[in-house]
Amino acid sequence: MMNVKVGQEIPELVKHPTTRQLVQYAGAQGDFYEIHYDQAYAKSVGLPGVILHGLLKAAFLGQLVTDWLGDRGTLKTFEVSYRGIDQPDHAYRCRGRVTKVEGDEVELEVWGEDEGGKRTTTGTATVRVGT
Amino acid sequence: MTTTAWVIDKVKSRIGVDGPEVTAPVEAGHLRRFAEAIGDPNPRWTKEAPPTFLVALAAASLHLNDAEEFGHSWLNGGNRFEYFEPVLIGDQVTAKGRVVDVYDKAGSSGNLLFIVFETDYVNQRGERVARLRGTMIRR
Repeated sequence: MMNVKVGQEIPELVKHPTTRQLVQYAGAQGDFYEIHYDQAYAKSVGLPGVILHGLLKAAFLGQLVTDWLGDRGTLKTFEVSYRGIDQPDHAYRCRGRVTKVEGDEVELEVWGEDEGGKRTTTGTATVRVGT
Repeated sequence: MTTTAWVIDKVKSRIGVDGPEVTAPVEAGHLRRFAEAIGDPNPRWTKEAPPTFLVALAAASLHLNDAEEFGHSWLNGGNRFEYFEPVLIGDQVTAKGRVVDVYDKAGSSGNLLFIVFETDYVNQRGERVARLRGTMIRR
């Protein structure tokens, strides 16, 4: 990890969620809230249609971090804020950047962008390297 | 559909009250279905749980019927995971959740009710494996 520097971007991860994936995720997590698979229900509560689970977007950003980290260390904290909604059939781009390196701890800023480049999810992750 | 102070007070009365404990095994098949659902092919997840898997073992928030008298729908505001020990296939994990804060705010499209949950996940050896803090928003 000697080559980790503040400001460095980590390799991005682009996801292509579908309604099918939302159903699959609803089953795997056990979250059957209708806004994630029932178009009529989603519209009845003022949404443009079904939307991604916040925790699915968190899982995408988790993958971004663990893909980058590999077996070089351990994830210590992972925090995400959902700032906007995302719909299936639109690419979801996960990105991250090193914001702090202190001893064996590295802090990353992570975010998920919609197709317009808007950060609909923002977060931070801290990892401990070499353990 | 009432958004009265009375509903808010009822939800606020839950602050500090522990929810029911939920114990669940970390099963290979469940882990595989979860990794498939999030689209993460990392072979590491055939033995160990990926970062957000714990929410699939026990609900990330307690179900509060009273809160559903406020507004018409739920939004997830955010989640914060803190990790202490790995979660492996074969572990028995107990989730202990509680409401830690409740507050309301005026939003651009009406009033919002924020409920902050905290859940500790403990394994079969009594080791705390993770803590999750989450904010659910009723609008």
